[in-house]
Amino acid sequence: MEKDGFFNTPQPWNSLFGMELESQVNEMNCSPEQLPNCFLSRNWDHSMDQSDPFESALSSIVSSPVNSHSGVPIPASENVVLKELIGRLGSICNSGEISNSTNTSCYNTPMNSPPKLNLSIMDHQIPVPIPGSLPIPRNHQLPPAPFPADPGFVERAARFSSFGMNESEFPHMVESGKVSRRVSNKQCFKTTELSIPIPGSDKKFSRELDNSMEESSLSEQIPIGETGNGYKGQNSNSNGRKRKAIPKGKGKETQFSTVSAIDNKTIGELEKEESDAKRSKSGEEGNGMEKEKEKEKIKEEWNRNQNQKQTKEAAKLPEPPKDYIHVRARRGQATDSHSLAERVRREKISERMKFLQDLVPGCNKVTGKAIMLDEIINYVQSLQRQVEFLSMKLATINPRTDMNMEALLSKDTRASMLNTMNHLDAPAQPFYGLVHARPENPLTSMMHHGSNMKSSQTHGFGEASAFWENDLQSVVQMGFQNQGPIFHGIMGTGQMKVEL
Amino acid sequence: MHTSSKLTKEFTKKWVKGLQICCSSKKNMDVLERKKKIKLCADIALASAKNATTSWSIALISEAKKEGENEILVDNLLGPESPFKQQKTIPLMSACHKRVRSKKILKRSCSVGQRMKKMGPPKSNLAIYIAKTLVKKRTQVLQRLVPGGESMDEFSLIKEALDYILSLRVQVDVMRSLAHAAEVSNQSDPNVFG
Repeated sequence: MEKDGFFNTPQPWNSLFGMELESQVNEMNCSPEQLPNCFLSRNWDHSMDQSDPFESALSSIVSSPVNSHSGVPIPASENVVLKELIGRLGSICNSGEISNSTNTSCYNTPMNSPPKLNLSIMDHQIPVPIPGSLPIPRNHQLPPAPFPADPGFVERAARFSSFGMNESEFPHMVESGKVSRRVSNKQCFKTTELSIPIPGSDKKFSRELDNSMEESSLSEQIPIGETGNGYKGQNSNSNGRKRKAIPKGKGKETQFSTVSAIDNKTIGELEKEESDAKRSKSGEEGNGMEKEKEKEKIKEEWNRNQNQKQTKEAAKLPEPPKDYIHVRARRGQATDSHSLAERVRREKISERMKFLQDLVPGCNKVTGKAIMLDEIINYVQSLQRQVEFLSMKLATINPRTDMNMEALLSKDTRASMLNTMNHLDAPAQPFYGLVHARPENPLTSMMHHGSNMKSSQTHGFGEASAFWENDLQSVVQMGFQNQGPIFHGIMGTGQMKVEL
Repeated sequence: MHTSSKLTKEFTKKWVKGLQICCSSKKNMDVLERKKKIKLCADIALASAKNATTSWSIALISEAKKEGENEILVDNLLGPESPFKQQKTIPLMSACHKRVRSKKILKRSCSVGQRMKKMGPPKSNLAIYIAKTLVKKRTQVLQRLVPGGESMDEFSLIKEALDYILSLRVQVDVMRSLAHAAEVSNQSDPNVFG
């Protein structure tokens, strides 16, 4: 059944695309256009317009059955095929829909559904593999040989199927897909979407920012694949080439992009997984250069595809996808070594940013280079201020007895340090954001002024300053009021050091 | 965190040593001065604990050495390492500065042309431009914060910032524990104070 179904699917698809694509296109085009805020509609427009690459891709792959079945009446078989595909791929979409925009639950969808497809295909030994790229751990299931058409095929099927599903759900899906994508984009640092909340051009801006961010080519391709360059043909073409270019199963990432087109909702999760894959991979810098070369090839091909597109589509394309293409075309047109080096550099930077995320507290939710840098700056500033503060405290607490200090160091601190060593991270971090609740009264006035000065500048520190102010009011001032102005001066100098 | 514990121990040792040197030199110091000394000792100790592996530590020490007073302190603290550091810092910094200067000039000349191009299709490029400037500003700020950061490109800057954050944390923890211990001991023995 499935075998037949699969055999049937390429043929009617081919015939569909070969013969009555336009009619289908019109049909398909109607409904998406009706949907509001459906950027997928653009995908549809473009995907429908991209009949030629589809055709070529498909025909190159499924040659003989096409010819034999060219005379099959399209609508009926197509419906049957559609239904079958809907049945199969609808499971993906359905599960994706059910899980809505929660990334965690959506993780299940790519994990669950593609293996089924994989297995079904693999079992029947049809040379039509669904890329095991869907989830990373499933990669071992993927046959190493390149099979171009089917992923694009599957994508198309998915789109049609998803389309064939309740149209009322479509905008919901789309929007939630967007949301999930945006959320997952924000979450995956590698995709490095700037989450700067500049009002107005929402999606556009985020996509443009995507371009501005350092992104590896594949992560770019995935959003392109989503937004849509529903250029499934191009996807399939590029994927085909990707697969050819990637012998060793590094095509995990590339194949990701193909499957990402399958479901709008799973795209976000796939991105995340892909970014995780990338992170795990990027650890291996030995492979980095190869990867870069492959990516470079892919990019070039992609750009060629983009350039080969009809101008209509380019005009039709709204700003967001064009921004991706725009930037990437530029890079593709630049010399390979440049873009290669750039990409390597960007990957390194994103790696480092990841480390910094672990270091700096409260950066797990934050993605986007500028914001990360902001947090880092805040953290460094706060640490430096702490050092100043502590040195001042030590200076005041032991006015003469530095010998005592050393004795303390030798005895108490070592003991206490052994205790505090276990909690080293904990105290450092809470201090960053919490009240320094010790009765250091002469110094609290300093911090008060310091925090007042600084609270306006750094929002991250604003909380701390607010806390300090609250605490200060409750603290009893001890006999250091005489030295108030001195402390003023001290804090003045201290501030001047660390001021932006 | 094995590295941090090692770093902690190294830092503590050197800091204590530095403080001893400090206190032996001058007996009566103002609070301000003392604070400065303490901080200086801490910074140098931290930087030397790194054994010149990171550029920020090198930069920090070279900055400290610029003031004549501190040289003795620094040299004593560093011990045999100092000559290495001396040799390293001078060519490094000059080369870096030159590189930075030339880069800046280049950038300025390029950016003007780029800006002219960019303002063509305003909508699409404006966002990118804004994002890039934001990132640039922040990297500049970070460069100012991290010692020796001016002469670093973005990638190494982030790397240095990473390292610097780690070591700052160590510093803060050690100082805090010492301060806490001192406080406790002072509270228990108020006669020492004053």
